[in-house]
Amino acid sequence: MTGTWLAIAGAGMLLSLLAGFRAPNGWLAAFGAGAAGALGAAVTVFAEGGTWEFRPAASLGGEAIHLRLDAVSAFFLALFGLVGGAGAVYARSYWSEAAHPRTAGAGRFWWSLLLLCLGLVLLTANGLHFLMAWELFTLAAYYLVTLDRRGREVRAAGWLYLAASHLAALCLFAFFSLLAARTGSWELGPLRDRPELAPLFWLALFGFGLKAGMFPLHVWLPSAHANAPSHVSAILSGVTIKIGIYGLVRFSGWLPAPPAAGWVVAALGVASAVLGVAFALGQHDLKRLLAYHSVENIGIILIGLGFAMVAADQGQAAWGQLALAGGLLHVWNHGLFKALLFFAAGALVHATGTREMSRLGGLWRAMPWTASLFALGAAAISGLPPLNGFVSEWLVFLGLFDATLAHGPAAWAAIPAAVLLGLTGALALACFVKVCGVVLLGAPRSAAASHAHECAPAQRAAMVALGSGCVAIGLAPVFFWPVLARAVADWQPAWGGVVAPAPLAALSRVHAALALLAGAAAVWLWRKAGRNGLRRAVTWDCGYAAPTARMQYTAGSFAGIITGWFEWILRPVRHAPRPLEILPARVSCGQHTPETVLEYVVEPAGGAVMRLALAARRFQHGRVQAYLFYLLMGVAALAALVFLGGSP
Amino acid sequence: MTLILDLLPRFALWFVLAPLLPGIINKVKAWVAGRRGPPVLQLYYDLARLWRKGVVLSTLASPGFVFGPAVAWVAVMGAALLLPLGPAGGAPGFRGDMLVLIYLLALARFGTAWAAMETGSAFEGMGVAREVSYAVLAEAALITAMLALCVQTGSTSLAAMLAPAAGADAALLAAGLFVVLLAENCRVPFDDPNTHLELTMIHEVMVLDHSGPPLAVILHGASVKLLLFALLLTEAVLPVGKLAPGVAAAALAGGVLAVTVGAGLVESLLARLAFRRVPLLLTTAFLLCLFALLMAWKGGA
Repeated sequence: MTGTWLAIAGAGMLLSLLAGFRAPNGWLAAFGAGAAGALGAAVTVFAEGGTWEFRPAASLGGEAIHLRLDAVSAFFLALFGLVGGAGAVYARSYWSEAAHPRTAGAGRFWWSLLLLCLGLVLLTANGLHFLMAWELFTLAAYYLVTLDRRGREVRAAGWLYLAASHLAALCLFAFFSLLAARTGSWELGPLRDRPELAPLFWLALFGFGLKAGMFPLHVWLPSAHANAPSHVSAILSGVTIKIGIYGLVRFSGWLPAPPAAGWVVAALGVASAVLGVAFALGQHDLKRLLAYHSVENIGIILIGLGFAMVAADQGQAAWGQLALAGGLLHVWNHGLFKALLFFAAGALVHATGTREMSRLGGLWRAMPWTASLFALGAAAISGLPPLNGFVSEWLVFLGLFDATLAHGPAAWAAIPAAVLLGLTGALALACFVKVCGVVLLGAPRSAAASHAHECAPAQRAAMVALGSGCVAIGLAPVFFWPVLARAVADWQPAWGGVVAPAPLAALSRVHAALALLAGAAAVWLWRKAGRNGLRRAVTWDCGYAAPTARMQYTAGSFAGIITGWFEWILRPVRHAPRPLEILPARVSCGQHTPETVLEYVVEPAGGAVMRLALAARRFQHGRVQAYLFYLLMGVAALAALVFLGGSP
Repeated sequence: MTLILDLLPRFALWFVLAPLLPGIINKVKAWVAGRRGPPVLQLYYDLARLWRKGVVLSTLASPGFVFGPAVAWVAVMGAALLLPLGPAGGAPGFRGDMLVLIYLLALARFGTAWAAMETGSAFEGMGVAREVSYAVLAEAALITAMLALCVQTGSTSLAAMLAPAAGADAALLAAGLFVVLLAENCRVPFDDPNTHLELTMIHEVMVLDHSGPPLAVILHGASVKLLLFALLLTEAVLPVGKLAPGVAAAALAGGVLAVTVGAGLVESLLARLAFRRVPLLLTTAFLLCLFALLMAWKGGA
């Protein structure tokens, strides 16, 4: 059954590759079939249990093909199918032939290739094929990021993405080849009883962590996600960075990990969560801000995974299962609401032509659908009940609290992690109140914002699909527990079967009641206000005679209090030239938050390498006499080595 | 069905009693200042009057301006219903319900903040910015306090956490929670409910443009939140679960009264802090809760 579904998925994807350039509607149909096939395969694996394996009598690159789908990979496959399908519907109308005649076809082709290769990464159980699919999807993603490569910033972002991805790929080449050298085969599978493989985990952590956008390896992420077309940002943020998480989950489950690994992953997770949201608060580019929230959410996922690894190391099944289940559920949740937010942001940016939040405002009036769906995504990502973000954060919290109550050594890490996770939630709320308030509410701050228009029905449909996913997981988390339980059991079979934690049923009831009552109260209060009499008047402005939209509070001022606390790492750059005349006519003031790690660590390091290389170039000047001298010196040095060292 | 029948009387209790607290605080302030002050029931009169009044909406506001307060009120009421009421029992608790309580308060903050941002007023933007920023520190303190209670009782469910008395760390926990109460409810020294200068307000400036029933809902929600924090503080410190029902009810009422009078005295005797000093005080509250957590840890180990 799984095989049939996967055959449909593969056939659909291949057809869509062929149809991409010429037939947009055929592409959408084929891609939809492919995405549905992937979803069907994932659901079948969860319903039937066990692992699906397929070994055709064929080989690629000298290695026999071996496909395998278990609960862990099916968990990711379901997300990829759903978000990829919704993204295709969105992309068909967002990056259409009419709007982008030069690049629309290429965009569809690379989209299909990206999803196809991501699926292959999940399916293959051979290290060499894993690397091939990995490399191909990285390239497809590069071409998607630079789809509209006329802008300088876009090309720079694409280059940074490509460079960072190849650094990650380099680590993974090392990881897989060392693994193959030590096991004698490229075949991948559970090898938990080989403790000598444990140190390889550090290579995997660097390679997969870089791809996932974990702090401080996230330097490529904000610019790539901000400058890519919005449907691409959504797939990058919702799906592609999750493949890094998949790698970490997969190989921390299959291979033994060093005892310190769990602690390191958890610490990196906490750092990513808190600093990701702090950087997000400092941004005034809407899409860049959303990109930094990916770093934050990857951090939350890593907190869950890290504590699960600690628990596995210490044989603490009870809270380890909760932490991992929370982390995994957050993979789905982040995929859903971040894709939703990027779709909505794409509609907003398309309607107004700018990503600068200080030029937007009051967009709810022109774009009620987009605004309400953005608000839904904002509430979900802030971890507010009764939506899905809260469910996964709550599971991680429960894991941390139970770890504290167990009074083991993990408690000393669980206490600060729990407090900082709470801090992250409150900071995310502050950030999204800022975004919603500045972008959607109030008065338009520019002409572009006042002439905005609602996005096309297909785009709205894609957003509604993702939004209903957020609501479904929020209102009925108990139905998704069996899926999580199966994935968790596959990750660590030593823990045995997982039982549903009873509170999920109670939480479902609380969430359902809350949603019902909040909706009823809102409608009732609106009606009551209408019955009492509604009157419109200008906003209270202390009686000022000429209020303008530019007097509204800006995003920068809004975040000022919190960015002040994080100044030590944000290092905001202020331009505030002091007015020198007696009656200055114009005064300007600006502030922007750079990518600190990139500008203060990576770029100086890169500069140093370049300077060294330039210095070394002086030895190459084209004078033959000098080259002969180098040869002579080389031979002399070798001779000295032979004489002194005593060759064997 | 039985659950609803069980919840209804407690809902009624919260609904009716909550607006009493601001009245008591105002009475205490008047008494310290040597005035007669407004009647204790003044908020009830205000709510009844506002409920009958018409609504003036900002020309910029969407229906979210009215939905926000409604959602916030439901969230605060939900959080209140999660809290056990000593002898009157609590909602059927479950593991981790204290996190639901904290996040319901966050949902309420989102609702009021959203409604305030609707108006596009710089004053209200300023108030919201302060509210959500200081809430970050208050939430850290609150989670630490909850962790301390969890460690002390070995449970993550409110009903079990709040039944016994806090141990040696009771004083630290009470002090920390009291500061959080003042911050979350926008009392002096964080905010002055009586101020009339828009630039210096936090909570009051967020509701500048609200009127009629939505304002009534906001004021009622704020009073429920005050009662919630006063009750949480009392139950965290007193061994409510170990007393006979009558005594426990009296202890709860006395505790809440003491906290309320305390808030009134603080408000009469202290000046409000400069905004840049606010994070310092909230960090102090966090540290108090952290020390309480460490003491609970030592006691339990």
